[in-house]
Amino acid sequence: MPRIGVYVCHCGLNIAGVVDVEKVTEYAEKLQDVIVAKHYVYMCSETGQRMVKEDIKAHNLDRIVIATCSPRMHEETFRRTVAEAGLNPYLLEIVNLREHVSWVHSEEPEKATEKAKDLVKMGVARVKLLQPLEKRRVSVEKNVLVVGGGIAGIQASLDLADAGFRVYLVEKAPSIGGRMAQLDKTFPTLDCSACILTPKMVDAARHPNIILLTNSEVTNVSGFVGNYEVSIVKKPRYVDEEKCVGCELCTQVCPVKVPDKFNEGLSQTHAISIYSPYAVPKIAIINPNHCLRLKYDKDVCGKCLEACEAKAINFEQQPEEFRLKVGAIILAVGAEIFDASKMPELRYKQCKNVVSNIEFERILNASGPTKGEIINPQNGAVPKTLVFVQCVGSRDKRFHEHCCRVGCMTTLKQAILVRERLGENVKIYVCFNDMRAFGKGYDEFYRRARELDIDFVAGLPSDIRSAPEGSLYFDVYDKGTNKLLEIKPDLIVLASGMVPNTDLEKLSALFHVSRSNDGFLLEAHPKLRPLESLTAGIFIAGSCQGPKDIPDTVAQASGAAAKVIDLLAKDVIELEPLTAVIDKNLCSGCQICEPICPFLAIETKTEIVEGTEKAKAKVIEAMCQGCGLCVSACPTKAIKMQHYTDEQFLAQVKACCSERR
Amino acid sequence: MGLTDLMSMAKPNMDARENFLSKLSSREFVNCFQCLKCTSGCTALKLLELKPHEIVKLVNLGFVDELASSDIIWTCVTCLKCVQRCPQKASPYHIIMVLRNMAVEKEAQIPEEYLKTVSRILETGLAEAPQEVTTRKMEVFDRKSLNLPKITFPRESFQVAFMKIMEEK
Repeated sequence: MPRIGVYVCHCGLNIAGVVDVEKVTEYAEKLQDVIVAKHYVYMCSETGQRMVKEDIKAHNLDRIVIATCSPRMHEETFRRTVAEAGLNPYLLEIVNLREHVSWVHSEEPEKATEKAKDLVKMGVARVKLLQPLEKRRVSVEKNVLVVGGGIAGIQASLDLADAGFRVYLVEKAPSIGGRMAQLDKTFPTLDCSACILTPKMVDAARHPNIILLTNSEVTNVSGFVGNYEVSIVKKPRYVDEEKCVGCELCTQVCPVKVPDKFNEGLSQTHAISIYSPYAVPKIAIINPNHCLRLKYDKDVCGKCLEACEAKAINFEQQPEEFRLKVGAIILAVGAEIFDASKMPELRYKQCKNVVSNIEFERILNASGPTKGEIINPQNGAVPKTLVFVQCVGSRDKRFHEHCCRVGCMTTLKQAILVRERLGENVKIYVCFNDMRAFGKGYDEFYRRARELDIDFVAGLPSDIRSAPEGSLYFDVYDKGTNKLLEIKPDLIVLASGMVPNTDLEKLSALFHVSRSNDGFLLEAHPKLRPLESLTAGIFIAGSCQGPKDIPDTVAQASGAAAKVIDLLAKDVIELEPLTAVIDKNLCSGCQICEPICPFLAIETKTEIVEGTEKAKAKVIEAMCQGCGLCVSACPTKAIKMQHYTDEQFLAQVKACCSERR
Repeated sequence: MGLTDLMSMAKPNMDARENFLSKLSSREFVNCFQCLKCTSGCTALKLLELKPHEIVKLVNLGFVDELASSDIIWTCVTCLKCVQRCPQKASPYHIIMVLRNMAVEKEAQIPEEYLKTVSRILETGLAEAPQEVTTRKMEVFDRKSLNLPKITFPRESFQVAFMKIMEEK
């Protein structure tokens, strides 16, 4: 006969404030095979855990039920507790009285107590049928894949490479650097973005442990923690990376003009070009959508071919595919900037003198389209009145509900730079809703902006209008003065927010990682596991997890790298034993399960049974993620999920439906 | 309640506010964060001093009674710009419409123009009667001179149906 201990946690008032924990404990005590039933204010505390351990020894308990918070929170904690007392850690059942009862039924305490009793009864019914299991042990690959070569990916790669791990840094664009490379200055210190970023870019390219794969994309991911297999396709540059010296002779002769992506389309580059002035690697790339030879005919143009002294140009280059084995993956693919043309009332893209903050960043930059001169892109004149409009696409239920977290500080930085460069005669207005300056040194930066006579108007314009000659005007009601003001600026800068990367939809399917409601990647726990995805061995860093400024991005990237080091420092890692097992005698060899498995963990092999050849399915344990798809698909019920068997579930259902004693 | 409007010594009426909320199809307007987009773009602000953000704030604080008897609610020209632009889907338009209905229920004074509009619809089927326009050069245009189709006026059955709806509401 099993000897069961039941423990009901108060979780302070989280559970006990709604559920009558004493009644639940009394009820549990009367259930069959329950030897001990107790309640305690915090089961997860040292005292709570010690109580369980002492009871296991004193009463010779062999199964434990703990009615507490979600198993996602503390199942591991309590598994360790029972293991320390000498029990197999899988002879433990967690009953969720917090998320499933007290938090959702806070207005009906009596019914909540009844539900808690039922759930405890079901837990006791299941715990009796649990089987002892042993963790699987697998070896790990000591390589890491980092996806995205922005500041997050660069920082994580450098940390990992310095720790001695081989890093494959994959970047979609022809150069690493990401968004930070486009910025002019960084808040709140106003140090030059390129000056602090480019050394890191060069370090990443030169590091003996980092293999840089630019102009490349991940196309397939399989395997599991410690043993991922990834396919990467390197798109053709049509330029030999070994030969190109980055002299730019080719770009000077190319007759085709193309909008410059690095300058947000504000200037033009050529069909053969180098991505940015500080591109790493500094290798030319031909845009196949614009190059005359690649687009039309292999006999036309060819001017770059003649100009290139290094003979690096190769129109025959084909995509290359790499297959790599890595132990862990860091996703650091960054975010995009909100497209303000979705709000036609702001006249973005309709008027050239309404620009987004990232475009203005290029205008401010010495290597940008205006060589750093602040001019109105419409007429080339120096603006006399500038307006910054905040919260564009952010904090807006029509588009993105989240705060972009960088819009306020970016505007303050840009406004200060305008004041510094154009002097005191230029009028600068910031139309804002709330000014959020929450980081280290940020509020001091806000004060600095006010000291520089930047005017803050507490109200957002409803719409921006343009006069026929191209000037802009708009009305704004100012909370501070209770007046409707009209402002006529030469240039309007929209604080367009950070929004989820459009690639995330594809990536989340490719890497089996979830996304939160806002569209960004979902962390395993917002407070306790912010650097991990819910898939073991896949970590997230930077603004693909949510909008972030540079300090936060770098901190998260180093954190994710540390988590990877923690994982890969061991030679062998332990995996949950929650896999499918196949009863050979019941398997009919129908092969229904094999294509259903999303992790390619089932293979069919022929075996000789009683003199005849028969097909039998086999689970590759190391690959099985325990999703249970094969279990429900098997027509002969030959497949069983360990720790989640049909018998265990049915016992719970039976307990739930039976009359209460 | 600890809140008092020191200008009028009025206190919020939370029951009236609840009653008011029950007439709205959504409670979204409690999400208003006073960004002032509605007032910045309000068509009625310049001439009639309508400040829609204040109406939202007053309702949120519980000053419903004074609004229902205020003239200001009749100045909204229902251009619906605030509905389009509100980042919190908390537009003042729906509030103003409920306030107007409350004013009618309370038999508060309704601006004469509104009553005229009702009778115009009854007579012509249109909120605004067809007009003649005189330009600065003193030329007079009407629909006929502009080659616009002739307007047909509604039949008696329309008027009966219209009156019936009015009474039911």
